[in-house]
Amino acid sequence: MRIGMKDQDHMTMMSGNEAIVRGAIEAGVGFCASYPGTPATEIAANLFTLADEHDIYVEWSVNEKVALEAATGASWAGIPALCSMKSLGLNVASDFLLNVNLSGTGKGGLVIVVCDDPRGHSSSNEQDSRFYAKAAQIPLLEPSTYQEAKDVTKYAFKLSKKYEVPIIIRSTTRLSHSRGLVKRGLISKKKKSAGNLPVGLYNVPMPHQKHRDLLRKIGRIMEEFETTGFNTDLSIKDMELLVISSGVCSMYVREALHLLGTTKIGHLNIATTYPLPKTTVTNLLDRTSRVLFIEETDSFVEDEVRALSAELKKLPAFYGKRTGHVPNYGEMNTDVVRTAIGSMNGTSANEVVSQQLPGEDILVERPLIFCAGCTHRNFYWAVRKVRKRMGGKLIVAGDIGCYSLGVFYDGAMNTMQAMGSGIGVACGLGKLERFGFDSKIIAVAGDSTFFHACLPGLVNARHKNANLTFVILDNATTAMTGFQIHPGSHHQEKAHRRIEIEGIIKAVQPDFYDRGSTSDIRSLIELLHSTINKKGLKVLLLESACRLDENSMDLVSKNTVFMIDSDSCRGEKCKICVADFGCPAISWGDATGQPIILDAMCVRCGACVVVCPHDAIKEERLQ
Amino acid sequence: MREPFNILVAGVGGQGNLLCGRILADAAIQQGLRPVVGDTFGASRRGGSVLTHLRLGTRDWAPLIPKGEVDILLGLEPLEALRAAVEYAGARTIAVVSLRRTPISDIGSGNIEYPPLDKISAALTRLCKQVYIIDADAALSQIGSRRVLNSFLLGAMSRLTQSPLKPDVIRESLNSLVGSDSINMVAFEEGATALHVELT
Repeated sequence: MRIGMKDQDHMTMMSGNEAIVRGAIEAGVGFCASYPGTPATEIAANLFTLADEHDIYVEWSVNEKVALEAATGASWAGIPALCSMKSLGLNVASDFLLNVNLSGTGKGGLVIVVCDDPRGHSSSNEQDSRFYAKAAQIPLLEPSTYQEAKDVTKYAFKLSKKYEVPIIIRSTTRLSHSRGLVKRGLISKKKKSAGNLPVGLYNVPMPHQKHRDLLRKIGRIMEEFETTGFNTDLSIKDMELLVISSGVCSMYVREALHLLGTTKIGHLNIATTYPLPKTTVTNLLDRTSRVLFIEETDSFVEDEVRALSAELKKLPAFYGKRTGHVPNYGEMNTDVVRTAIGSMNGTSANEVVSQQLPGEDILVERPLIFCAGCTHRNFYWAVRKVRKRMGGKLIVAGDIGCYSLGVFYDGAMNTMQAMGSGIGVACGLGKLERFGFDSKIIAVAGDSTFFHACLPGLVNARHKNANLTFVILDNATTAMTGFQIHPGSHHQEKAHRRIEIEGIIKAVQPDFYDRGSTSDIRSLIELLHSTINKKGLKVLLLESACRLDENSMDLVSKNTVFMIDSDSCRGEKCKICVADFGCPAISWGDATGQPIILDAMCVRCGACVVVCPHDAIKEERLQ
Repeated sequence: MREPFNILVAGVGGQGNLLCGRILADAAIQQGLRPVVGDTFGASRRGGSVLTHLRLGTRDWAPLIPKGEVDILLGLEPLEALRAAVEYAGARTIAVVSLRRTPISDIGSGNIEYPPLDKISAALTRLCKQVYIIDADAALSQIGSRRVLNSFLLGAMSRLTQSPLKPDVIRESLNSLVGSDSINMVAFEEGATALHVELT
């Protein structure tokens, strides 16, 4: 989509993520490594589509730590490198990050993009990843618009090359996943060629001196941030209040000030949030008596400003997450800003919100569910059946992926934290028999997660003889984030070599190993039940299918339909298929008092047939 | 046109929310406006609530519409239209809402009952300035696909006198995204004649 009167005015609709990609391409990026994760996935996914055109090597690495290490290797050799990931990915990569900050990134330039997810729309937490920039003492940039996302990325590469430190760009869901018009710049014509590595790419034996050197660099970078032009200051002469904001919050602040129609409130949008440009900030603090901070998610800028203003003679009053004027959890928006300004002025903006609105009483949630025909549902159905047989004594330690929805499926999954945590937690639980722990333990992980973070846990389980069953739900793709290829996928790029999960499992030599299928519920229940009752480390590799994956479309029959046999169906008295199994392709007919199979949604997998205890779900061949 | 002019598209995953946002944004660009489109979708790839916020103006407005500031609410699904209206509708809101329900699947937490349609439309009329309830079933059966409901509703919306986006421009944007022989184009034309049932 384009707009344009003149050539140089050509504007393109871009999401925040696409704008970051454009900025990287304009900066001459030559290498990108990433692991998929919402809301960051589109950055590398987009670069894949542009890789040939711009001579860029792009890979989905096995996890974010490997991605960051690989990207750093490229930067050391002189190739500008981008490493994008979601918030939680930076936890995985942080071990390396807190070393390479000291070692330096060489001549290529290394830009890390981390996309945080305030409110956890698609995440298991709402962490504020900016603290990693402070922990690593490296520059942090937070763009507030689509145009800034592009421009800041280009600048980040320049900065990294100049100071040989990694730069973190932090986006959040609302910027990454919304779009606006961006004016493109020229693409770097510089030839990308790899050269010799710098010397001394390690911190020993004097890490403290490397630390000293890094702090000197960050001091010079702070000077540079005073004049970058990215920190936009819309302050006015007689400010009653100064609002300091960063990232997408700056758009909310601009809009709130427009809605309030005031001319007495100044606004500073900070794009260089670590290290803060001290003079820029303190000069503004001198000119106001009140300051309000608006930022996603924690009080990062707020605390930094409080710290650097400690030596000021006259302190303004600070308002923000620390004072309770801004919520210190959840997502920000224009209304939060309006409410905060209202509460500072003594008017309670919550009055309107507190009364119930029409329709609020009848609103019901739309719960997150497995798709029609999803084989994860079959697996958890089997888990529930086996748990019942065990008198409830079965713990499922879960992991991260679509199958995490098992926590909402009658609590079939009991725990769910980080990538690889299922097998790790199970390792501990599997050693508790001496303390009287008498539940059977299943650890469950998907195939992409298996490669990402389960290998050390699996080796530990074998080595320590933990008594547990490790189940891998293998649909051969990274389904949750849009079918990115991983080492175990059936279809691989020509230059890549497939690694079979089975080979890895066998190498670890579990006490018992078997394959099974999540499509056949009846035998799955028996396989699970007999396996968990064996001693030692058991591993089950279960062939699964994502119904949204085009590669699995041929697994189901196109020539059959499934119907309810109204004579056999017990209707209202039973409801197992619709209310307990819960496939969205099975609906309820209020008029008939019986379930209805929604043929438009049904993927014809037939899983529900054995779920019905009355044989009322019938398969019919189409002629 | 009021600056910013705000259109909110509410539906469930798979209904084509995102496509609606793209088409309307393109139409806005063709009319010389500066759109911002905010898509909000959670972990649900299919079947969860999806909202698309469209801001039209001359500068970048925030990707979320403030409470009470919706000018047009396009409801691809009645319950989701109500959810969006409770959160965002106000004195200016004109709602165009499809009558067809997407049922709720739920296990474990007891049976979640889908609220009765008459209660939904009653609440919508109290939350919005004007509500058009659209029954697209007959038209979509004739066209042969329910998957073009989004284009049908775009057609209906294009006929609102309050819409700053002109019907011809929206049609052209739809055309450039789906192709002229797509049944989406038929659905759009059918939708353009559907704005007759109005609740006030």
